[in-house]
Amino acid sequence: MILFDNVSKLYPTQNQAALDSLSLEIEKGEFVFLVGPSGSGKSTFLRLTLREEKPTAGRIRVAGKDLHRLSNWKVPHLRRRIGTVFQDFRLLPNKTVFENIAFALQVIGKPRRQINRDVPAVLELVGLDGKEDRMPDQLSGGEQQRVAVARAFVNRPLILLADEPTGNLDPGTSVGIMKLLDRINRTGTTVVMATHDQSIVDQMRKRVIELEHGKLVRDQSRGVYGYTR
Amino acid sequence: MRFQYVLSEIATGLRRNLTMTIALVIVVAISIAMLGAGLLVRSQADTTKGYWYDRIEISVFMCNAFSTGAGCADGAVTDAQRDSIRQTLESHPEVDEVFYENQEQAFQRFSEQFDDSDIGGIITPDQLPESFRVALQDPEEYDGVVSAVSGLPGVQEVTDQRQLLEPLFRTLSGFQLAAFAITVIQIIAAVLLIANTIRLAAFNRRRETGIMRLVGASNFYIQLPFILEAAIAGLLGSLLGIAALFAGVELVVGRFIAPNLQFTTWVDGADVWSATPWLLIAGVAVSMLASFITLRRYLRV
Repeated sequence: MILFDNVSKLYPTQNQAALDSLSLEIEKGEFVFLVGPSGSGKSTFLRLTLREEKPTAGRIRVAGKDLHRLSNWKVPHLRRRIGTVFQDFRLLPNKTVFENIAFALQVIGKPRRQINRDVPAVLELVGLDGKEDRMPDQLSGGEQQRVAVARAFVNRPLILLADEPTGNLDPGTSVGIMKLLDRINRTGTTVVMATHDQSIVDQMRKRVIELEHGKLVRDQSRGVYGYTR
Repeated sequence: MRFQYVLSEIATGLRRNLTMTIALVIVVAISIAMLGAGLLVRSQADTTKGYWYDRIEISVFMCNAFSTGAGCADGAVTDAQRDSIRQTLESHPEVDEVFYENQEQAFQRFSEQFDDSDIGGIITPDQLPESFRVALQDPEEYDGVVSAVSGLPGVQEVTDQRQLLEPLFRTLSGFQLAAFAITVIQIIAAVLLIANTIRLAAFNRRRETGIMRLVGASNFYIQLPFILEAAIAGLLGSLLGIAALFAGVELVVGRFIAPNLQFTTWVDGADVWSATPWLLIAGVAVSMLASFITLRRYLRV
C-alpha cells in the first residue's frame, strides 16, 4: 500500500537529510506505529506519502500510484484515498460538527444525497451521534479529535495517516481514540500513526517502525516503543 | 460542482476583505476609465485628422496691383504667368485638383466671413489676391508642391493648411500618449493591488484551503472562489469606470467642448458604448489573470 524505495529527502536550508535512503513497505490493512525523536523524519515520511513534497531521490508508491510519475493535477485524486488526522484537530471553528465533516465531501464534489447518508453513518462510527449540531468549541478535545477522524474517514480512504493524534489528549481520552483507529483499521484501512506516546505503543502491540536521523533503525512486528529519551 | 458553496465562499471572502475589495474596485474603476479615455482620445485624434485631411488644401496666392515681394516685382500677375503657374500645378504628380479663385470670388468669400464687421465695407475686390486652391492626393505630401510653385513669378505667397494644423495634431498625439502612459501605470497598480488582496484572502482562509488540499479538493475547486472574487471586483470596477467615462464624455465634451468648438466631430456616448465590451473584458480578464497568477504562488498543491 505504501512503498518507500531508497528514499532521501534533503531540505535546502538544512545540512542533514530529513530522510536518508529509507526503504520500507507497508501492506494493505496493516496498523503501523512510526516512532522516533523529533526531527527523526516521521513528519517528512507522512508529507512525502501525501505528496505534499517530492523526494530528493528514490521511488515512492502509494495506493498503487508511482508518485514520481503522478502529475500535479492528479495529486488531489491520490489524497482522496488517504485520510489525515493531526495533533491539533484542524476543524473549522465556524462550522458545526456535521458541516465540518460534510465539508470534506462537498469540496470533492459529492452530491448532497451522499453527504446526508454518509455523514450520520460516520458520526455513529466515531460515537458522536446526537452531537452533529455542536460547534467545535462546545466539544472536548477527545470529541474534537473524533470529528477530525470522522472527517478523515468519511470518504472511506484506503490509508489513514495520523500525526500524533493523541498528542493533545489525556491518557484516558487517548485510549478512546486508539480504539477508534483500531476499529477503522479492522475495516481494512491501512493506518499509519506517528506518535511519541509510549504507553499506547506498548499496549497495542502493533508493528513499530523507528526512525532516527532519517534512517530506519528498527522495524518490528508486535513491537514496543523502545525508544528512551 | 456545488454552486451554492462557491457562491457563499465568494460572499464571505468579499465581506471579510471589505476595505481591500473597495480599494480594488476603485483602482480598477480608475484604470478602466483611463483606458477608455485613452481609447476615446485616440479615436478623437483619428476623426479630427480625417476631418481636416479631407479639407486640407494648398493656397497659391498671386500678386495683385498692390503686392510687394520678390515674385511681384512686375506688379499684378499677368495672364502668361497665371497659365504657367496653373500648368506647373496641374502637371505635378501629387496634385489632385486645382480650383481658380479670381478677385471677385475672393471678395465674396471675404464679405461672407466679415459680414458683421466694418472691415467688409472698406475692402474692394482689387485689394484681394486671386488664387489657386490645390487639393492634394496625399495630404502628407505637401512639401514638393509648395516648393514647385513658391519661386515662380507672379506668386506672392503659398500657404499650406497642414502647417497651421500641425500644432493641433501634435497636441492630440500628446494627449493620447499621456492617457496611455497613465493607463499603463494604473493597470500595474491594479494588478499589484489585486495580487495583494487575493494573497490576503488566501491567508485569511488558509485553514479552509489547507483542509481542502488534504481531503483532495482539486486545485480548480480551491482557487475558483478566489478567482471569481477578483472577477466580481473587476466587473464592479469596470462598470464604475465605464459609468464615469459616460459621465465625463457627457459633461465635458457634450456640454462644454462640442457646442463651443465646432471644427470637428466630437466623441459622444455612442463611442463609449462601443468601447464598453472591450473595457469590461479588459477589467475582468486582468483581475482574473492577476489573481490566478497570485494563487499559483500562494496555494500550491
